[in-house]
Amino acid sequence: MKAFGYVAAKDVGHAVALLGEYGARAKLLAGGTDLLVELKFAAHGPEIIIDISRVDELKDISISDEGLRIGALVTHTEIIRSPIIGNLFPALADAAHSIGAAQTRNLGTLGGNLITCVPSMDSGPTLMALDAQVTSASRSGLSQVPLADLFVAPRKTSLQSDELLTGIIIPKANFAKPAAFQKFGLRKGQALALVNAAAAFWIDQDKDSFVQPRIALGAVAPTVIRAPRAEAFLEGKAITDEVMAEAGRIAATEAKPISDFRASADYRRDLVAVLTKRALQSAYARASNKVRESVP
Amino acid sequence: MNDDTKVLEREQLDLAETLRRSDVDLRLPAVVPREPFPIEPLTVDARQQTHAVGQRATRLDGRLHGLGQTKYIDDLSFPGMLYARIKRAGIASARIKRIDTSAAEAIPGVMAVLTGSEIPVNSFGPTFQDQPVLADPIVRHAGDGVAAVAAVTEQIANEALEKIVVEYEPLPAVLDPVAAMREDSPKVHAPNSNIYASKVVRKGDIEKGFAESDRIFEARFSTQMIEHVSLEPHAAIADWDANGRLTIWATIGRITLARADMARTLKLPMSRIRIIGTIVGGNFGGKNEISQEPALALLSKKTGRPVKGVFTRNEEFTSTTTRHPIIMDYKTGVTKEGRILARQIRLVLDGGAYCSWSATTLGKACILSPGPYKIDNLVAEAFVVYTNKTMTGAMRGFGAPQVCFAYESQMDDIAKALGKDPLEIRLLNAFDEGSPSPTGQVLHSVVIKESLRKAADRFGWEPRS
Amino acid sequence: MIDVTIVVNGETRRASVPPETTLLKLLRENFALTGAKLGCDVGDCGACTVIVDGMAVNSCLMLAGQVNGRNVTTIEGLATRDRLHPIQKAFEDTGALQCGFCGPGAIMATKALFDENSDPNVKDIRDALSGSLCRCTGYTKMIEAVQEAARVLRSESRNSSHTRELKVTAP
Repeated sequence: MKAFGYVAAKDVGHAVALLGEYGARAKLLAGGTDLLVELKFAAHGPEIIIDISRVDELKDISISDEGLRIGALVTHTEIIRSPIIGNLFPALADAAHSIGAAQTRNLGTLGGNLITCVPSMDSGPTLMALDAQVTSASRSGLSQVPLADLFVAPRKTSLQSDELLTGIIIPKANFAKPAAFQKFGLRKGQALALVNAAAAFWIDQDKDSFVQPRIALGAVAPTVIRAPRAEAFLEGKAITDEVMAEAGRIAATEAKPISDFRASADYRRDLVAVLTKRALQSAYARASNKVRESVP
Repeated sequence: MNDDTKVLEREQLDLAETLRRSDVDLRLPAVVPREPFPIEPLTVDARQQTHAVGQRATRLDGRLHGLGQTKYIDDLSFPGMLYARIKRAGIASARIKRIDTSAAEAIPGVMAVLTGSEIPVNSFGPTFQDQPVLADPIVRHAGDGVAAVAAVTEQIANEALEKIVVEYEPLPAVLDPVAAMREDSPKVHAPNSNIYASKVVRKGDIEKGFAESDRIFEARFSTQMIEHVSLEPHAAIADWDANGRLTIWATIGRITLARADMARTLKLPMSRIRIIGTIVGGNFGGKNEISQEPALALLSKKTGRPVKGVFTRNEEFTSTTTRHPIIMDYKTGVTKEGRILARQIRLVLDGGAYCSWSATTLGKACILSPGPYKIDNLVAEAFVVYTNKTMTGAMRGFGAPQVCFAYESQMDDIAKALGKDPLEIRLLNAFDEGSPSPTGQVLHSVVIKESLRKAADRFGWEPRS
Repeated sequence: MIDVTIVVNGETRRASVPPETTLLKLLRENFALTGAKLGCDVGDCGACTVIVDGMAVNSCLMLAGQVNGRNVTTIEGLATRDRLHPIQKAFEDTGALQCGFCGPGAIMATKALFDENSDPNVKDIRDALSGSLCRCTGYTKMIEAVQEAARVLRSESRNSSHTRELKVTAP
């Protein structure tokens, strides 16, 4: 790696001040699993690395009136092991578990995964399907925007050069909303998603129909996207395999995949249809089990 | 001396003795005391149990591996050692018009730079000596080395690579081996044809065989380029002593061959070259010839210091040998029961930019291409062709895996088309004890049919038609 | 240069290194602990795996500054003067070490697994080893070795009053 300076941030305020000072000349080090790879192949290094890996304020998983807050520095392993997340949003744990391998999950952070902002990111779809918001801090103060606003283009977020992502919030209204995540890669471990998908919906118990369905797709557009036409189709419909399959087909038409050395666009579209259907089925199965568990 | 000091001495002696004793437990023998082995020669019959075959043995070097004490090349370091890096062409086919290393040499910490023109004999190779140590002046694949540097740290060596200016005149490149066979194709090693070796195996009367067949199956199979990906990258250390003798520590599996190649490229008597083949972190065929060693040797000579070179994982893919992609055309004539009467095969091996072990691979692939089946009428024609891509060389199987994919796939196709069980069709055709190989060698210890049946039994194969 | 103080295998070590020094480089070059290997340098192969504050990590993906003040365990810290660690013994006996290059990384990944879960099933083991690539063994023996080591460690903790001596003897 080329030489660079190094400074460790003590807390959020310090990190923001440092970002303010160095701006685009600095890179943030959280888990390092993306950054260090980037640095090893970079033609030009940053002037300085701001190490935020010890900013404890950003490592919390907590519930407030607003919702569930996951700090930007929470690692994928911590998400997998969190009883709160396991209880409220097991799909998030599934998504985290699909990332890399044990060693990279121990280091890699949720914030890092979001900020690296590749279309195939595994943390994005489930959060998007759960209407997550992202919080950030800069010299101008704190800010909170929907997750979709964070993703601008591959490897490009909406964050300003002095802005620090601090965490995500899943609104209280979505607590325990049945959700599921599906990923297809060329192997089971250390695999990049060819396509990933997440689905979340409430169930009208009387009609057994979809309420407020959400479908989010990854690796089939420049950023993680929703599938609004598929969602509109599902709203109010009876929950059947045929309906879920049709939603998958509609979602496939909303995807804009490219062909690359890993897969063709056609194959990716096929995957969207299948993974969307499976995500819907899986979320439904999860909800049914819970209902069955709670019925005496 | 007073009593205190005496006690101290004694305590220290006891401590030393305790450490020595417990250390013995942990100090594992590099050479294991072996049981005396009988000297009388044993002539064994096939499948006779001996005291070696079939016995369980513990791998001796496993002890140090598990402790993390095994010293692979990158774990070795010497006082004053420098780090070498090689600049890769990054262009598939070109003539080097100009190399300017002055900016690199000016970097503090860069101790020497080397280009192809400084290599005494700039060609090597286990079969044909068609590969340069550093390209000069023709670049034949993107992973060709064009210059080498030695610096006090790897970081400085990397920086130096960037500062070396190379002006290329791009030349036409050929990337497809079948296209490369045409007369009008760009020539990788002009003026020679790109077809650099061929082999034919003929047996019986192929036309008669096809004429007598009930069905004929034709298909093209192809396999991709595969890299060994040994966990340990290629690495070597070069050092000279005051008597002008060169020592190379290398991951190379064929050190006598390497020594001959080093003697040739450096114009040095073999008696002045010592190659130490170290414990290697995976070879699989990819570490059976020299690559960077002559460059390291010359850098070491220029600097008067030991020079270590370790390939990056990228270089493992671009600049070390790989498994030959093969395009395999199979035409097979069978009776309606599925017995093979005739087989005609054409293999085109993608031979990369340099020969390496391709001629051997060609031979094996050709001879093994009909498969372990009794075929009276056979023509197998194989060609290995230069392309402007990464060298293809030895990799575990040496041509056998690719042709196996082809003939076994076709067997399944034939079975399906004839409505026969894939296992039965193989049992119908497979070698027996005493069957001749495609080149007429009489085969013994033939256990294909027994093995297939045993395997089928073990995993519960149900006949399918 | 930055100054780092790290507890490595129970011993406090100090170094003054350029900030871009990875933990892997620090261990191998500054502390002469060459057990962790450089296989890919991008966190894919796991040959560089060490344990930092109880977690298995790719040391090629950490900067020296990140580990300042933390605890690191490497392969060199497993065996004691008296005996091999049961994981090392099991890997050796089962034949899970061929060229051995992936060994230290896989063994440390296993150690980290056992620190969390003393009775892993095959799925847990595969998950823990998913970050350790091996080109020699095909992983089957590794999984057997991990199961054997788990058995040994569990029985040792059950019979801690008469610990089975795994004396290190010449093979």
